[in-house]
Amino acid sequence: MTTTTTQQTSASAPHEERRGAIELRGVRKMYGNIAAVDDLDLSVEPGEFVTLLGPSGSGKTTTMMMVAGFEELTSGTVLIDGEPVDRLPPKDRNLGVVFQSYALFPHMSAAENVGFPLRMRGVQRGERRGRAEEALARVGLAGLGDRRPRQMSGGQQQRVALARALVFNPAALLLDEPMAALDKRLREQMQDEVKTLQQSLGISVLFVTHDQDEAMSMSDRIVVMRDGRIVQEGAPEDVYAHPRTDWVANFLGDTNLLPCTVLERKDGEAVVDLGAWGVGRVRDRGAKGDAYAVSIRPEHLRFVDADRCENRGSGRVLSSTGLGATIRHRLHVGGQDVVMRELGTGSRATGGLDSEVTVGWSPEEAQLLVLEP
Amino acid sequence: MRPARPRHVSSLIASVPVFVFLVVPTLIVLPVAFTGSRYITFPPQQLSTEAVTGFFRDQAWMSALSASLQAAGVAVVIAVLLGGTAAVALHGRTFPGKAAITGLLLAPMIVPAVVLALAFYQFFISVGMVGTVLPIGLAHAVLAVPYAFLTVRASLAGLNPALVRSASSLGAGAFSVMRFVYLPVIRPGLVAGALFAFSVSIDETVIALFLQSPNATTLPVKMFTDIQYNLTPKIAVSSAMLVTVATLGLLVQVCFTIRRRSVARLLPLTAPEQTG
Repeated sequence: MTTTTTQQTSASAPHEERRGAIELRGVRKMYGNIAAVDDLDLSVEPGEFVTLLGPSGSGKTTTMMMVAGFEELTSGTVLIDGEPVDRLPPKDRNLGVVFQSYALFPHMSAAENVGFPLRMRGVQRGERRGRAEEALARVGLAGLGDRRPRQMSGGQQQRVALARALVFNPAALLLDEPMAALDKRLREQMQDEVKTLQQSLGISVLFVTHDQDEAMSMSDRIVVMRDGRIVQEGAPEDVYAHPRTDWVANFLGDTNLLPCTVLERKDGEAVVDLGAWGVGRVRDRGAKGDAYAVSIRPEHLRFVDADRCENRGSGRVLSSTGLGATIRHRLHVGGQDVVMRELGTGSRATGGLDSEVTVGWSPEEAQLLVLEP
Repeated sequence: MRPARPRHVSSLIASVPVFVFLVVPTLIVLPVAFTGSRYITFPPQQLSTEAVTGFFRDQAWMSALSASLQAAGVAVVIAVLLGGTAAVALHGRTFPGKAAITGLLLAPMIVPAVVLALAFYQFFISVGMVGTVLPIGLAHAVLAVPYAFLTVRASLAGLNPALVRSASSLGAGAFSVMRFVYLPVIRPGLVAGALFAFSVSIDETVIALFLQSPNATTLPVKMFTDIQYNLTPKIAVSSAMLVTVATLGLLVQVCFTIRRRSVARLLPLTAPEQTG
C-alpha cells in the first residue's frame, strides 16, 4: 500500500482510561421459531475475563458472534464502552477475535498475518513490520515472522492468531474455543499464557468454551449457559461450590445429589430431611423450585466417627480405586450410590470392600439446589 | 493391484483404437496445413510453409482472426467477472431462490446453440446492435459464464468460512475481503474459467454465423463459408491453429490441476502438532 497514512491508530494514542466494557441487554436471536439466545443480559467489565460456558447448542458461540457483529440480533442491544454497536459492521467494532480454526490467511507469512489489521488501518509498511514482530515476540514467536501458517504447529498458529487479534489494541478480545484443537498438555500451557497475557495487558476477554476445567482455570467470572439462557454466573469457585441447580452441579465437575425435603431455611442455611441420611444442615442460596436436592462434591465427603458428626450417613464400600494423588471410593450409603474422593495413597478409614463406613460433611460444603424438571 | 494387471492391459489395448478414432481425424489438419498444393489434399504431395505464410498475409483471414480474438476477449472479461462474482456471492449462503439463480447461471450450457443463436439474432437486431464484433462477444460471454462460475465455485470449496469473518473482524471492508481472502483462493479458478471462456468463444460457430457481418466474421465462420467456394489449405492452417490453441489451453489447465493437487497434499487441514 503506497497511500499516505492520515489515520492514526488508537494503539499509539495514550489511552489511560480503562476501556473494553461489553454489555448485552435483552439480547435475543431467533432461528425460525427456535430461540438460539433468549433474553440475555450480560456484562464484561473493563479488564475482566468472562467465560461463556455451556454444552454445544447452548447459544454461547451465537452470543459471541453477535458481539463480534457476525450475527444480527433479533432484539436487544449490544454496547461496547457504553456505545450501542448494533449498526456497526464487524470491521468497525475494534474487537480482536480468535477463531477455533485460527483462520490465519494461508498465503501470508506470520508477520503479514499479524500486520494485516494494521494494514487495514493504514499503517505503513515499515511500522507495520516492526509492530508485527513486537506482537509476535510477545506471544513467544520472535524470529518466526517469515514462516507460513502451514509451516507452523497448531500451538504456533494459535499464537499468531492471538498476536494478530491483539496487535491493533482492540477494545476487547473475543476467543471462540481457541484451545479445542490442541492436545491436553499444550492446552494447559496456552491457558496459562493467555491468562498471563490478558492480565499484563489488562484487556477484557469474552471467552467461549465447553471445557469446564478451562473455564475454571482462566476466568474471573463464569457464565453458565443452557438452551440460550444464563443458568448461573459468578466467580469460578463460587459457581463450583454453590451450584443453583442439579444441571449446573453436574456440568461443573462431579457431584453427589441427595434428594431432600426442606424443613426450614433462614440466614443462608437450610435444615433438610434427607431420608435415610437423616436430618442435616446445608448451605442455602435461596433458589426456589418444585423439588430440591443437596449437592456434595466427592472431595467434600469424608469418613467420620459415627457420633462425632452432625451430618452423616452410614453404609458400605463398593469399590476403592487409587488414582495417584487421590483415591476414589464408590459407596452405598442411605439407599443410594455416592462417590467420594480422598486425598492420599493409602486409605485410613476403610477396612476394605464391603466394610461398614460412616461418611459426613460440613454444612459449608453441601449446597441446597433446585432439581430441574 | 497385481491381479488387476491383465485387465489394465486389456483395457489399454481396447482404448488405443478409441483414442485413434477420436484424435487422428483432428490431427489430419496439421500435415494438410503444410501442403505445397493449392487445394486441401491428404496426404500432402510435398511439404511447404506457403499456406501458413499465405494465411498470415491474407487480409481477410487476418481480420477474421482479429474478430475472433476480439470476441473472445470480450467474452473472457465478462464471463470471468460475472461468473466469478456470482460464485463468490453465492458461496456459503443459503437463501430461498438460490437454486433458481444457480440454474439460471448454468442454463446457457443446456439451451441448444441454434435456439440461443436465433434469440441473440433477433435481440441484437431489435436493439440495433449489428455489424460489429461486440454482439458476438456478448453472446459468447453468456455461453462462457457457466464455465467461469463453475471453476470459481470449485476453487471456493476449500475456503475456510472463518477467514472471511476473521478478515472483517480485523478491519477489512468488502473490497479488502475480496482482495485478501477471496482472490488468492479463487485465482486458479479464475484462470481456468478464463481459459474455458476463451476456448468456448474461439470455436463457437452457430451464434457467430447468425450474427456475422462483413466487419464481423470470426475464424470458424470464415472457414465454414470459404470451404463452400474454394478448398484453400489456409482453412487447414486456421484449423491447425484452433487445435493448437485448444491443446495449449488444455495443457495449462492440466498443469494447474496437478499443481493444486500437490499444494493440497502439502497443506493438511491441521498441521502436525509439535511442542508449541
